[in-house]
Amino acid sequence: MALSSIFLPLPLPKLVSSSRSHRLLPARASSAAPAASASASFDLRRYWTSLIADVESELDAAMPMRPPESIHSAMRYAVLPGAGNEGSAKRAPPVLCVAACELLGAPRSAALPAAAALEMLHAASLVHDDLPCFDAAPTRRGRPSTHAAYGTDMAVLAGDALFPLAYTHVIAHTPSPDPVPHAVLLRVLTELARAVGSTGMAAGQFLDLAGATALGEAEVMQVLTKKFGEMAECSAACGAMLGGAGPDEEAALRRYGRTIGVLYELVDDIRSASGNGKMRRNASVLRALGMDRALGIVEELKAQAKTEADRFGDKYGDRVLPLYSFVDYAVERGFELQDAAATP
Amino acid sequence: MALAFHPLAASRVRIAPLLPAAVAPSSSSVAAARHHRRRFSVVVATAAAASASATTEFDFKAYMVERAAAVNRALDAAIPAGEPPAALHEAMRYALLAGGKRVRPALCLAACGIAGGPEAWAMAPAAAVEMVHTMSLVHDDLPCMDDDDLRRGKPTCHVVFGEPIAVLAGDALLSLAFHHMASVGSYPPDVDPEKHPARVVRAIGELARCIGSEGLVAGQVVDLEMTGTSEVVPLERLEYIHLHKTAALLEASVVIGAIIGGATDEQIERLRKYARSIGLLFQVVDDILDVTKSSEELGKTAGKDLASDKTTYPKLLGLEKSREFAEKLLSDATEQLAGFDKEKAAPLLHLAYYIAHRQN
Repeated sequence: MALSSIFLPLPLPKLVSSSRSHRLLPARASSAAPAASASASFDLRRYWTSLIADVESELDAAMPMRPPESIHSAMRYAVLPGAGNEGSAKRAPPVLCVAACELLGAPRSAALPAAAALEMLHAASLVHDDLPCFDAAPTRRGRPSTHAAYGTDMAVLAGDALFPLAYTHVIAHTPSPDPVPHAVLLRVLTELARAVGSTGMAAGQFLDLAGATALGEAEVMQVLTKKFGEMAECSAACGAMLGGAGPDEEAALRRYGRTIGVLYELVDDIRSASGNGKMRRNASVLRALGMDRALGIVEELKAQAKTEADRFGDKYGDRVLPLYSFVDYAVERGFELQDAAATP
Repeated sequence: MALAFHPLAASRVRIAPLLPAAVAPSSSSVAAARHHRRRFSVVVATAAAASASATTEFDFKAYMVERAAAVNRALDAAIPAGEPPAALHEAMRYALLAGGKRVRPALCLAACGIAGGPEAWAMAPAAAVEMVHTMSLVHDDLPCMDDDDLRRGKPTCHVVFGEPIAVLAGDALLSLAFHHMASVGSYPPDVDPEKHPARVVRAIGELARCIGSEGLVAGQVVDLEMTGTSEVVPLERLEYIHLHKTAALLEASVVIGAIIGGATDEQIERLRKYARSIGLLFQVVDDILDVTKSSEELGKTAGKDLASDKTTYPKLLGLEKSREFAEKLLSDATEQLAGFDKEKAAPLLHLAYYIAHRQN
């Protein structure tokens, strides 16, 4: 059926078969897709692509070239995609942030500055994570990593400057105090700082460094949760706060975000181990879990994320569709975004 | 003799001896200090000045000791205790709680006070600037940067914990600074619920701007680009480096304290000028001390700037002109305090003198 032309299927029959039973089909990626289901009006690829354009113009404007040029050039290099850059960024954290905000009926403009900030914080951690004393990664997203292009010292400083730029940007551009009250803005800032701090992403990098992924399932899941779940939870939570979520809604979106973050990464590792994605050091996660168990966890996470998203279906109607479709996309990876960028 | 003028070194010596005799005896009169600024001899305070001067009622040494203790308690409490990963938190504590004079937090608290706010309101921002300062030192000491093995007589963070953990500990301290400052729970319950959130947002914006690519990091970048070149750094460039590398964080400390304390925009801008002057003063004095003091007196390697062929104020201007420049900066700073309540201005006034007259 048409599915095979839409989805870049996982190499694993188990996952592919489970996707056929989904109530909602994700991502009408091509005109050949059937248009009969309830979600026919929602096109994840179009949604995602338009959001990336918004986020990238926000980022571009947030980082003008000014003196000293070397550092600003390095910061832009770390955050913005290069021309003709084959592996351009998917911007999952900002997309999740905006989707959570829009779910609640708030305007995109309330969440865009925080979405850009998430990307800056994310990029800052990646720049430091790639350093010779860490992963010593020579490339990132298909081009030389920041330290390879600008030197190790400049890479350390570019990361150090991206962290505060994220907070500056949120404060300067979030529409506050109306519609976002100062107290809410402070909660967003607290959340951003927590997510990349010593109990969040930095904890994940530390545990990864300490070799926790070579241990048992609990340790592996902890690394994935800290390194990727925290950031996604933060993205969803920021979107929730900026959209004016109540406490229960915020809590549900947090759980949803955390689950999606881990799911996305675990599937990445499965694809990588199967030679179907980019290579990551964390493919060792698969060695620790075993392929069968990893696939089992994927199913569990998927069910959890769907359960959280379901809470919003009754109240918000079709606006919940992005949340549903992210779950399926995380597993199926039905399209590549750079294709979308090439054919808008 | 020199140590006797270090306000923190000798228990019975107060900052007062550094003021000339003509200063009004019962208060740290800003106006008087301005009139007599020509009589100050920066970095060369003499015994004669000590014996001739009157005492003031403001005990600077006690002020600094008390504030440092309070800040240390706040820092100790701010690191998530007992939460994993233990080694990462240990590295953060090692760097953060290694002692130090806590000048930046003191400036922040004093600025809150001069603006009319209770100092307790500014304790979280004061802790935050010290976290940022520590983070910049941890990253500065890395092998890919300055490559220092020792800091305050102790092995540097990356020597003890390894490079990757030092990078992460720095990043985590930076995040903690903003987290601590933004959290409602970091502030006492008596803050003005109407005005406080907006003030904190504005203060966080100031801190972030002062330490980013147009502040502290800009100074580090230009400094980095200067090292290794044999050409002499022009004065303008030297000032750029110091205004960013040192003064920016002092500016943030003072300005965020003032904002939290409820200062008016006009007061904030006066205090910003004060901070920029003492920031530059801090570095000019550092350069002078490097050529005039022994390693023993400094507690670090003396003559290091000369040996490393680094451009300094004494090298560009000569020692005497550098001292005159320092005096000018001190008077520029103290002039900004003239419009404030004298009693409330005393800590910032004495902090300026302390920075001018420190002996190490």
